[in-house]
Amino acid sequence: MGRLLRAELRKVSSTKLWWGLLVPAVVLSIIINVFGGLFTAAIPDDGGRLPLLLGSLAYTLGLTAVFAACYGVVATAGEFRHRTVTTTYLLGPRRWQVQLAAMGVSAVVGAGYGAVVALVGVLAGVAGQAGSAFPSVGALVAVTAIGMVVSALWAALGAALGVVVGNQVGGLVGVLVYLLLGELLISALLNSAASVTLQRLTSYLPGNAGDIAIYDIPARVLAGPQIGSRLVETLAGVTAPPPWWGALLVLAVWTAAVGATGWVVGSRRDVT
Amino acid sequence: MNDRSGRVTVQGLSKRFGAVVAVDGVTFSVEPGVVTGFLGPNGSGKTTTLRMIVGLITPTTGDARVNGVPFAELSDPARVVGAVLEAQGFHPARTARRHLLACAAAIGVPDAAVDHVLGTVGLTADADRGVGGYSLGMRQRLALAVALLGDPQVLILDEPGNGLDPEGIAWLRAFLRAFAAQGRSVLVSSHLLGEVEQTVDHLVVISKGRCMFQGPLAQLRGSRRARVLVRCAAPARLADALARTGVLEIDTLPDGRLGVAGTDPVHVGDVALAAGVAIYGLAEEKIDLEQLFFQLTAGPWRAG
Repeated sequence: MGRLLRAELRKVSSTKLWWGLLVPAVVLSIIINVFGGLFTAAIPDDGGRLPLLLGSLAYTLGLTAVFAACYGVVATAGEFRHRTVTTTYLLGPRRWQVQLAAMGVSAVVGAGYGAVVALVGVLAGVAGQAGSAFPSVGALVAVTAIGMVVSALWAALGAALGVVVGNQVGGLVGVLVYLLLGELLISALLNSAASVTLQRLTSYLPGNAGDIAIYDIPARVLAGPQIGSRLVETLAGVTAPPPWWGALLVLAVWTAAVGATGWVVGSRRDVT
Repeated sequence: MNDRSGRVTVQGLSKRFGAVVAVDGVTFSVEPGVVTGFLGPNGSGKTTTLRMIVGLITPTTGDARVNGVPFAELSDPARVVGAVLEAQGFHPARTARRHLLACAAAIGVPDAAVDHVLGTVGLTADADRGVGGYSLGMRQRLALAVALLGDPQVLILDEPGNGLDPEGIAWLRAFLRAFAAQGRSVLVSSHLLGEVEQTVDHLVVISKGRCMFQGPLAQLRGSRRARVLVRCAAPARLADALARTGVLEIDTLPDGRLGVAGTDPVHVGDVALAAGVAIYGLAEEKIDLEQLFFQLTAGPWRAG
């Protein structure tokens, strides 16, 4: 397993993929945190006393998770595209170990995306949002750490999805259409249902779960503990969200589920 | 478990893709110390069989073992089997050295092994270029370098001649012979007998997914009796005269010549002279292995 992790790390570091997807995430982070994101537009700032940076940072980290997911998909599905998977499976015929190594290394890359984006975001925020208060270090670290975990989980989920789909374009289109459109539609449908149980399901969709985890702490800091949860509902488009750790758990379960699917599908696939 | 013999055994191996039976009950073995040629026309099931041996394709029935165990259950697979397969890809932007370094990490061999195999296949000068700029022959060499990284006991090559120039083919031939001479096993596939004729000791011929011949190359040569081809004035009279001397295997060829088996030109000439039949041409038919191979794979022995 250690060998496969090392091999995976060497594969990652020998192509441009990891920074090719990091660059646009960083650019987005700069733009959003300098000008303030949609998140902060929702909050009336009375006299610049709110640490709005926490909000724009959360919004940025939510977007970063999409890049992390794309990274994961390309990392594994790209092996099918370039047919390197033949060599990979020749050297590591226990395919579930190969998949686990790819998911692990992708998670590290995803966490790195979160860390870099947060760091750049804070610097950009300091430069652009000079008028508002600077968030507490504790809250900043918490949001960053949660954002890193969300991106790590999405990268791992993407890597598993890449194995399931086995097709780079299909995997990428699938994950993007789902995250940027599909889940919004499903959420809207569930939210419009008469049953409260159905409405509550919105919090358990993977994209929403990641957003809830990231928005939870900033919403409480900015809007107060009473209406913080309502703010998360508005921002993530969900009903009755769990706390951040519950949301992380939901996303982790989704990642494990896609991972298990990859295990089954991947080990049965004929590599021709 | 792993008996360290270097033997590959294929037992009743079949693979069905939907309605297509790609491989149909193939049984053969690959022994250490010799080069085994795996021959068949394109689409006869060679690639599918080789990929089943190394666990890339799951057989529908039957099994393939290396050192007595299925490939995927070998604890150090790349140290036992090195494989160069068709359509084995590389990331175009990754350099050959970095590709090999990633492979070395997966196998668990030191990085120094990378320089060693680069030298063996003659890619040292091009090692730091992206593989996207490589020719087909260079990719084949790189694939071979990967296969050799683990210093394996068994080498499996699928159509390695593709893309190699004549010099490269000659080099590969010598390399495979030397590899087998060290007591290791080589299984090399080709759709051209002529390409491997000088390299292989043992032959497995497959057609339409079925095994048509398995044995030493010499046995294949001996399976066809030499004939004397005669052009003469009166074929029927000569055939009668030959039959009276006990030579009974006589065919009439489409061009009017007689094909006489089980004798030699001297006897045919003597009989013709005694029978008063003028002879216009007398030739010994050469045993053309390629022709034999063609007959095995497409001729009257074709699997129904």
